[in-house]
Amino acid sequence: MSASSATRHRPALPLSLRSFFNGARLVVLVTLLAIAWATTQVGLLRGNLINGGGWALVQQFFAAALRPELSADFLRLTLESTLVTFAYAICGLALSLVIGLAGGLLSSEVWWLSHRRTSGSKLGAPWLAVRGGLAVPRAIHEVIWGLFLVKILGLDPLVAILALGIPFGAITAKVFSEILDETPRDALRGLLNGGVPAGQALLYGLLPRAFPNLLSYSFYRLECAIRSATVLGVIGAGGLGYQVLLSLQSLRYGEMWTLIAALIALSGATDWLSARVRQVLGAPTRLEVNLAPGCDAQAAALARATPSSRTLLGLLVVGAALVPLSLLYIRPDFGRLFSPRTQMLFGQMVREMFPPDLSAENMASLLQLSLQTLAMSIFAIAVAGAFGIVLAQPAARRAMGARWPYWLARGSLLFLRAIPAPVWALLFLFVMFPGPLPGALAIAVHNLGILGRLIAEAVENVDQRPMRVLRHGGTPPAHAFLYSTLPMTIPQSLAYIFYRWEVCARETVIVGFVGAGGLGRLLTEQLSSFDYPGLLSTLIALFVLTFVVDVLSAAARRPIR
Amino acid sequence: MFRSQQKTRLALALCISAAVAACAAPPPAAAPASQPAAPAPTKPFVISAIPDQDPEKLNRLYGKLAEYLKAELGVEVVYKPVTDYTAVVNAFKTGDVDMAWFGGLTGVQARLQVDGAQAIIQRDIDEKFRSVFIANVATGIQPFEDISGLMGLKGRTFTFGSESSTSGRLMPQFFMRQAGLSLSDLKGEPGFSGSHDKTIKLVEAGSYDAGALNAQVWEARVKSGEVDTSKVIVIWRTPPYYDYHWIVRPDVEQNFGAGFIGRVKQAFLALDQANPTHKEILDLFGAQKFIETKNENYVDIEAIGREIGKIK
Repeated sequence: MSASSATRHRPALPLSLRSFFNGARLVVLVTLLAIAWATTQVGLLRGNLINGGGWALVQQFFAAALRPELSADFLRLTLESTLVTFAYAICGLALSLVIGLAGGLLSSEVWWLSHRRTSGSKLGAPWLAVRGGLAVPRAIHEVIWGLFLVKILGLDPLVAILALGIPFGAITAKVFSEILDETPRDALRGLLNGGVPAGQALLYGLLPRAFPNLLSYSFYRLECAIRSATVLGVIGAGGLGYQVLLSLQSLRYGEMWTLIAALIALSGATDWLSARVRQVLGAPTRLEVNLAPGCDAQAAALARATPSSRTLLGLLVVGAALVPLSLLYIRPDFGRLFSPRTQMLFGQMVREMFPPDLSAENMASLLQLSLQTLAMSIFAIAVAGAFGIVLAQPAARRAMGARWPYWLARGSLLFLRAIPAPVWALLFLFVMFPGPLPGALAIAVHNLGILGRLIAEAVENVDQRPMRVLRHGGTPPAHAFLYSTLPMTIPQSLAYIFYRWEVCARETVIVGFVGAGGLGRLLTEQLSSFDYPGLLSTLIALFVLTFVVDVLSAAARRPIR
Repeated sequence: MFRSQQKTRLALALCISAAVAACAAPPPAAAPASQPAAPAPTKPFVISAIPDQDPEKLNRLYGKLAEYLKAELGVEVVYKPVTDYTAVVNAFKTGDVDMAWFGGLTGVQARLQVDGAQAIIQRDIDEKFRSVFIANVATGIQPFEDISGLMGLKGRTFTFGSESSTSGRLMPQFFMRQAGLSLSDLKGEPGFSGSHDKTIKLVEAGSYDAGALNAQVWEARVKSGEVDTSKVIVIWRTPPYYDYHWIVRPDVEQNFGAGFIGRVKQAFLALDQANPTHKEILDLFGAQKFIETKNENYVDIEAIGREIGKIK
């Protein structure tokens, strides 16, 4: 295969545009073809896309921004909803960290190696079992977890906590295991060689060194949890997402703007807090998706990390205190987990689901919708990536130049990502016919907000020296930027874009829920028709699709690394 | 220096275990907090309804009804608002809701999932319920008498209400099919607005050329002046069919005593236009009175549901 020969010939030089294109020409070509295919698939070139009748509503919507609903009652409702969303995020995050820590340890190489005292690469069946077991919950979006759990547990806040905690836990476990495996093992090895039992050796020799990175990633997950809790609200869990949906359904735009302001405040405050914490921890990058094991940047990040134990302790105490407070606020009924009714309903659902609907007719429609969903995700990430790279440049913090482009770009990105994708989809549906395009655009816009900021951080962290050399040599600023900063940030940006593609593929489901195309719309129809065998086969199709996207994304990132 | 570093490490390790403990602890700790809320004998009678109208209208309507039922039945009655049609069926199935106000289709779906559930009460208007097709005046679509007039929607944009709505989706789609109009004859895909109120607003604003909804909601909104009839008009009224009704779970008699279902029926049947409090509830429901109904009334709806694929 040409991909493997490309890897073999890869020069062991630092990244540069040349080596990138030499190693990744195939990836670029395939990507461009995929984008072209996706564009035709989502129907961008077909007629009947724009429903011109809806512009009046869009005007009303934006005009209402000037007169948000500010009555005392509504402000109180907004505050309560904000707290509910925050509390869901905290509880879900806490659960995901418990799962993540346990799963992360058990799926890390270092855990099994230190328990076996072998230096070989044979990790054995248990390691594989844990890894494989975690892949399933990860592939299923929080919203689908929610829709299924509500059928078993009934209407209870517990549903939202589990729906958020389980998939997030599996994702966290994967990243935690990577962090643990990439943490320097000298201390651990010393302890093990000194005869310390493996458990204690890990506790004293490895965990403390990995801790700043683990904590830093946990705070990044808090940002994700807030967004996810909002989306779960949209499907009925309550909080800000629910209220936004109600106001949108009644076309009360004034209320919507008040709620959007609350979403932006909550999202902005969390992002800021998370960034501050990570700065203190010495790991300023939100997530380092594309680092080779033992990579320099990781080691450098660890070396920079000299947070005082008091800071860490403070963070932990505050974080730990928030969990019981949140639980008190939303009062989940944990008794439901083990109640006979739950067991009965679970058994009933499983019986109704099997066997899945594997009729030829259904398989054909699943294949077609899977391709449509794939196209939606590719189109969405292509739009989000292209605009993300453009918006990220002004959004990166710089010492020189005017301040307003920075704030404008940051503000726009925050606005775009604070509004959940299903709500964007409903707004697009004002002026577009139902179908894959409004859904793909909704995912694109929401992810643009997230991706833009990730890329801006990559731009901030880039080596400034080549830029300075060019500038001192008399190169105009625009040229210097074009030939130094931009090419140097492109590999990292592309890595983020491919990583985010996986997320987009999963998110196509949630815009389908509001009627915007793909497997998600089929899933919605099946849910409302109580067609369980059909649901199971759609879920399997989604799982396969997610798996394919994960593999492709990883394959595309490899030559960029 | 070395010692202090070791101390830091130790502190870190302790932090981790503290964090794990803190995260793991809440479940058992929180359980007692929620227990006093649900002692078995005083369990409230929970009612819900498909969210077919503006949420704040539903809250007013069912708030009043819950008060009335509480006084009549002598048990705590709670109205539980739910976000979409499917969620009401779910909540009824799991038993979180004891009695619910369903449409024809959701009612059949609910009874198919809960053995022994009974349709007990409906409004006088529900045994001869109708949908209206409405159109934006600017489109020039004229009102018509015969079902074949639906073919005039060819090449127009069109929105239904909720996907699971009987009067806003199932029956309109059934009549369109009878008229020979396929969904692919419309311009673009049909929309699903989510509720009857939103269908009116979208057609009035011109976002869609035409739409279909519950005739009673339409008449109520026209009467209260919430619709601009210079912008949106009725083009066709469908033939009558059975629609909305209350369905009760079979296990309520175990929880609230034998004969409870009979008492619930009596409470509804006793609602009288002459009584001002009763009149308010009846007006909010858009009914003169409530009447009895039975499961067999919805056989046709079930057949149409299967035909269109909403019932498997």
